[in-house]
Amino acid sequence: MREEIWVEKYRPMTLDDVFGQEATVERLKSYVRSGNLPHLLFTGPPGVGKTASSVSIAREMFGEFWSENFTELNASDERGIDVVRNKIKTFAKTAPIGGASFKIIFLDEADALTNDAQSALRRTMEKYSGNCRFILSCNYSSKIIEPIQSRCAIYRFRSLTDDAISERVKFIAEKESLTITEDGLKALVYVAGGDMRKAVNSLQAAAFIQKDIDEETIYKITATARPEDVLDLIQTALAGEFKNARDKLNVLVFEQGLSADDVMNQVYRALFKIEDLSDAEMIQLIDAVGEIDFRITEGANERIQLEALIAHFALLRRKEKE
Amino acid sequence: MSVEIVIQNDWAEKYRPKTFKDLIGNKKAIHELRLWAEEWEKGVPEKKAVILYGTAGIGKTSSAAVLAAEMGWEYVEMNAGDQRTADVIERIAGMASKTTTLFSHEVDEDGKKSSGRRLIVLDEADNLHGTYDKGGSKAIADVIDKTTQPILLIANDVYGITQTIRSKSMEIEFSRIQTRSLVPVLTKICQNEGITAAESAILKIAENAGGDVRSAINDLQAVTVGKTEIADEDIVISGRDVKETIFKALVKVFKGHHRSDALDAVKTLDETPEDLILWVDENLPIQFPNQSSDGKSANGINPDVANGYQVLSKADLYLGRVRRRQTYRMWRYAGFMTTVGPMSVRSKDYSGFIKYTSPSKWKRMGQSRSVRNMRDNIAVKISARHGKSMRVSRNEIIPYYRKLMENEEYAIALAGESDFDMDELVYLLKAKSATKKVQSVYEKSRFIADAKRPAEPEFFKTPESEKRSTVAAADKNQLTLEEITKKSEEKKAEEEQAAAKTEEKPKNQKSLFDF
Ligand SMILES: Nc1ncnc2c1ncn2[C@@H]1O[C@H](COP(=O)(O)OP(=O)(O)OP(=O)(O)O)[C@@H](O)[C@H]1O
Ligand SMILES: Nc1ncnc2c1ncn2[C@@H]1O[C@H](COP(=O)(O)OP(=O)(O)OP(=O)(O)O)[C@@H](O)[C@H]1O
Ligand SMILES: [Mg+2]
Ligand SMILES: [Mg+2]
Repeated sequence: MREEIWVEKYRPMTLDDVFGQEATVERLKSYVRSGNLPHLLFTGPPGVGKTASSVSIAREMFGEFWSENFTELNASDERGIDVVRNKIKTFAKTAPIGGASFKIIFLDEADALTNDAQSALRRTMEKYSGNCRFILSCNYSSKIIEPIQSRCAIYRFRSLTDDAISERVKFIAEKESLTITEDGLKALVYVAGGDMRKAVNSLQAAAFIQKDIDEETIYKITATARPEDVLDLIQTALAGEFKNARDKLNVLVFEQGLSADDVMNQVYRALFKIEDLSDAEMIQLIDAVGEIDFRITEGANERIQLEALIAHFALLRRKEKE
Repeated sequence: MSVEIVIQNDWAEKYRPKTFKDLIGNKKAIHELRLWAEEWEKGVPEKKAVILYGTAGIGKTSSAAVLAAEMGWEYVEMNAGDQRTADVIERIAGMASKTTTLFSHEVDEDGKKSSGRRLIVLDEADNLHGTYDKGGSKAIADVIDKTTQPILLIANDVYGITQTIRSKSMEIEFSRIQTRSLVPVLTKICQNEGITAAESAILKIAENAGGDVRSAINDLQAVTVGKTEIADEDIVISGRDVKETIFKALVKVFKGHHRSDALDAVKTLDETPEDLILWVDENLPIQFPNQSSDGKSANGINPDVANGYQVLSKADLYLGRVRRRQTYRMWRYAGFMTTVGPMSVRSKDYSGFIKYTSPSKWKRMGQSRSVRNMRDNIAVKISARHGKSMRVSRNEIIPYYRKLMENEEYAIALAGESDFDMDELVYLLKAKSATKKVQSVYEKSRFIADAKRPAEPEFFKTPESEKRSTVAAADKNQLTLEEITKKSEEKKAEEEQAAAKTEEKPKNQKSLFDF
């Protein structure tokens, strides 16, 4: 049997399954209890439960008729102004099913809607609000035009805390009869960076290899270097030891199989952990990382770009000392 | 199954003002609006159209509905949810603006006078779409010229309405509502809904709304859901605190001593780096004033400002890369530099509080929307003519046209060939308004345009002639407005299906501004 994807298998069915968004979830639950809902705007980074909460609201409110009264449009659908004017309006106009008092239109990635399409929503949201509620989800609320924001209650979903992620991971691990070490859990949390989707996907990938999961498995399967190793690489480079740093880089790239993108992301994250850098130094380093990141997308040989980065790091500090 | 009765659960709709008394704020604007309406009772006023404009949720649409109700006028609305091509506008608004209602000059049961006028409301008039609402602006201008009925346009951004329409209309600005006027509205709703609310809680919601009544009502409903009592600590409104939190974040950016504080503050803002940089740009020279050693302001440039701009310039470079190549990963570098830049170049602490200012509306928009719309309209015409993409037309061909059209002969020829309208010519001829010269080019170009029309290739031909005859028939048979609307909707569905194939897919702009 082909295995189901865990992010789907463990997609929250109720608001109680949505972890780490307590304040927001509390509010959403009172909507469900009251049987009423305003238009909602969910904003926040990827993989933190925006879609999951929307679906849970519909399930809890409409019970067995939830799918009839819930329509989802995401960015892969055509969502120009014409869709707003036709499809959305038609759905908004028609009566809800099974005794529900309204239906829900979920617009995922609403920040990818053109301004014109957003504008076309304005009166539709007002005129049919007796019949239909909108839930808009986006990564940046500043991409949603003010008149639409005005029509919604706004909820910010936060990047998930380490605790929320490990709690959910432990829950899934138990269901799947996995054991996971303390360090393994820590590694998973680091890899996830606040994104539950990433955490669950990584867990499933690791479980594919073995049922006893430790940090080694996690780093390997996600092609992630240990944060300590990356920090060490940076410190070595900043100490001016180019040759040493280059050897360490080779280990990451050739032995651990990190792509240049992975290296850049981890270097970027690690820089924030170095305490003794002045703001001005930090700007210089970030600029160097950004410049090389750009050149990687333009260039042909990633390794050369990465080497150029550590060489630059090595030189920067030396100049400072002189 | 029993018949569903729609119960209005959305408070913003439930408490939509029904009379002028219900409308708070904007007394002067509403007064002007009523004067204009009174004029219509006496005859035809000089300005037959009026534009209500202003920010969201302050009573523009409500005022239009109330006006019609109080005057005893029939109310016909078109909004951005409807397609608004020249044709549809002519059919609906055009028809409505000519015929009067059946029983004019009667007194209805409330004893209100009924002059049989019909108020034609074009809501969201600032968002005519270049492709889908082709020719819409011109049609509105035509309808205003010909109308025998009052026309009311509503817009958030008055600059999104063409100059031609604006010159034919009276403009009335609506402003944000003051906090203290909001409080009684919210209090009354609470009473009505049986909710006991602490005064301070109401005040907090009102303050948070930034003068937007609808937001305030929505927030009130959000915090009271499932409760009969609300206290101060219940008010955790996540949204609308934009201004306030951005000012707080700016304090950390300009005065802070720890980059992590500034980064955290900016992170919770959820502004894109593109927006954030405008705030920093606006405030950098103000926050780092040029002071001589005795603390007085001095001439010349403060080196901290110059150095700050060096960092912003780098940040902008990354934004440019994002824009050109859709590499949203670059956002984080721009965001970092914008946030940490000012403190990294600051040579000393600046004492005293200096007010933060918002980037002006113009800068935020980059360009006026109307110019952008216009360029899109022109690009549509050009791309149809030359078979080039919209992008190529906009970026490469339009500048070329503008150059060529410095020569009047070329100007006339190109205007005729592409059937540019007056507003488009104003732009292409680099004029500020519809000057004599622009008008003369337009007039002369008509010969070419009219001569050209029947010869247009089949592919580009709109079923214009067909539709015209529908309207003519409608005139004869005295179709009701409903029937016309229905017909136009059928047409619309067909047209939109055809159009759907050509629209560009919106880009999926996933972000990675993750510090
Ligand atoms: N807070 C959470 N609690 C439990 N599981 C979660 C949570 N957030 C995300 N997940 C898991 O990750 C998957 C994806 O989450 P979801 O679709 O809700 O993300 P999202 O916030 O909508 O992200 P995007 O911005 O990418 O659309 C869910 O199916 C679920 O398995
Ligand atoms: N001046 C006002 N007095 C009382 N209530 C108001 C006022 N303005 C707005 N509201 C409330 O907000 C709701 C929306 O108002 P309205 O539709 O008039 O806003 P608008 O100015 O047209 O906004 P938009 O530009 O977003 O369309 C109303 O139903 C009403 O509940
Ligand atoms: Mg989602
Ligand atoms: Mg309105």
